[in-house]
Amino acid sequence: MTEQVAVDNLIIWEFDFAMTTFYEVDTDLITPLLPKQISPMEIVPGVSLLNITAFNFPEGGLGHLPNFQELIASIIVTPDLSRGVPKFAMYVFSLGSTCQKHLDHSADYYKLPSYKKLEYGKINRLDNTLEFGDTDGSILTMNNCSTNIGDFLGHERYFQAFVLQDDNLFIADLYLKAALFEHQDQGDAGIINNHPFLKGLELFDEERVPYLQMLLEPGTRGKQFYYKPEKYG
Amino acid sequence: MSEQKSKEKKPSYTEFTLDMFSRSSGKNHAEIKQFNQWREDVVSADKYTFEMPHLTPQTPEIVVRRIHGDEHRLFNFSSYNYLGYANHPEVINAAKDALDKFGLGATGSPLLNGTFDIHKQLEHALTDFFGQEGYGISLFSSGYGANIGVVSSYIHKGDYVVLDHSSHASLIDGAVMSQGTLKLFRHNDAEFLERILKRIAKENRRILVCVEGVYSTGGDYGNLKDIVTVTKKYGASILVDEAHSLLVAGATGQGAIEKFDVLGDVDLLIGTFSKSFGGVGGCLYAKQELINYVNYYARSRMFSCALDPAVTGGILKALELATGPDGYAKRKRIVENADHLRSLLINKVDIGTSQSWVIPIIFGDERKSIPLADYLMRKGYDFSIMMFPAVKKNKSIIRAFVTSEHTKEQLEGCAEALIDAAKEYDFAL
Repeated sequence: MTEQVAVDNLIIWEFDFAMTTFYEVDTDLITPLLPKQISPMEIVPGVSLLNITAFNFPEGGLGHLPNFQELIASIIVTPDLSRGVPKFAMYVFSLGSTCQKHLDHSADYYKLPSYKKLEYGKINRLDNTLEFGDTDGSILTMNNCSTNIGDFLGHERYFQAFVLQDDNLFIADLYLKAALFEHQDQGDAGIINNHPFLKGLELFDEERVPYLQMLLEPGTRGKQFYYKPEKYG
Repeated sequence: MSEQKSKEKKPSYTEFTLDMFSRSSGKNHAEIKQFNQWREDVVSADKYTFEMPHLTPQTPEIVVRRIHGDEHRLFNFSSYNYLGYANHPEVINAAKDALDKFGLGATGSPLLNGTFDIHKQLEHALTDFFGQEGYGISLFSSGYGANIGVVSSYIHKGDYVVLDHSSHASLIDGAVMSQGTLKLFRHNDAEFLERILKRIAKENRRILVCVEGVYSTGGDYGNLKDIVTVTKKYGASILVDEAHSLLVAGATGQGAIEKFDVLGDVDLLIGTFSKSFGGVGGCLYAKQELINYVNYYARSRMFSCALDPAVTGGILKALELATGPDGYAKRKRIVENADHLRSLLINKVDIGTSQSWVIPIIFGDERKSIPLADYLMRKGYDFSIMMFPAVKKNKSIIRAFVTSEHTKEQLEGCAEALIDAAKEYDFAL
């Protein structure tokens, strides 16, 4: 594995809660959200992955920002292996945060598609459950969908994030260093509501099958080494 | 990345899984370069256990040659030769007779000039084996071809193919080729299937539900009773792929459909000749009018050469043996062998929900896959290793395929090797 060296275009984010769930969705449903230059990474033809990740950043976890929660929606897409071999590549299509400064910075620096300021990001660390919402109501609930929890393995993994801004596609390299419980149990992962946060994506009950889930080990902190995006293609 | 400074370089085969090289964006085909780098890392570390030429038949003891030329005598727990017919003397002689009589290849599509008398004999024998009035057999040159041909001719654009989450790639590819809409339901979960059927049945389109008799990853039986009931409730058709169960499961070897007594409710039954028959090829068993249609419209049949005559002769003999005393004895023995191996492994390693001659040993972390396969081979055992995404994340498995031909001593040696590996690689219970 490689070690990050601080450079001008790198920001290190430190978080103390993270839960990410990959949901199986029909490719036809998510295709309209994708720019034409990239394709979904299907688990089988016709079935793609929607990823929703929730973070809690403690005060000081990201520069001088206060404690806040973040919710990111993305689609797993074909990576660009000429840059390295990532665990996943994602196309981020919606970002919500309980911190307006964070949203502004993310839109400006990372070209991330800011949705709007969220009213709440309720995280129950004991039960590994959460709920995020805004003035339009609850966006989703998410919970550990495994019947057990553990083993938390040390992960140092490379990811790629595609974003679209003003019809220009960008790519960013990310590295994650965290102790994670990663599983593919297909229990109840919570409820995703038909909410504007998902940019018109409407999911049927039976299509909200969790494909994979990762949880940060309680009581630990993870780091995300997030490079400034570059124009792609 | 120029910003990255290498601190500790781990071998790529302990970091990456094969799915990570499958596709790349951009015009430069970077996936080919990255995959070859991964393969070269495995080869240069002398841990490459794929594509090894066998120097002997698929018997319980084999000799293989690894990529650097070293030969290894191994106990074979990775072959589908469940009943030993691939190298049974009578099967070999029958194949030789057919070879002498009909020549090496069929040299034509079955619909045009590739059908020989021996193919018709096999069709009749298989139809008689299942024994339903008005039914017939369509032969394919591979099991993969049978599934893609049958699914894609039976289902059309706008229709639905609903697959168990553990379905074989050939069923998935058939669904894709059909241009129907593909839906997945949780493995063996009839309630989940019902939720999908309840919604899509309202569209009044054709629906095909596909399941398997025995699943080749988990070694468990398909939940046929419940799934057939739900499928029929919503007016859908059901396909059962008996690739790993035909000739082996059920009192007479008809497969899981016999064990669970659902033959009369199954619309399409797929068989494979490359496993318990010991040959190669596949077949569809269904109502004769459907067989007639598939024979013309299954593209993998129409545009492939017919089964080669020698293999067909061998398959015919294997079927004859399997439906007689030899088959009854072998079926009894394979079940006893699998039960014995499970009894030696249980509470020592995690064998999941295996109920059959396919026994998965869950070792978890996929990063151990390549070193573990090499370790087991150097201990004298050949197993099949499966990692994500073929199995769930952190649920990577060693698969042991038990046959009727394994001896008690071989099974006990196998268990000992697996338990030693579990201690060495930290997956012992």
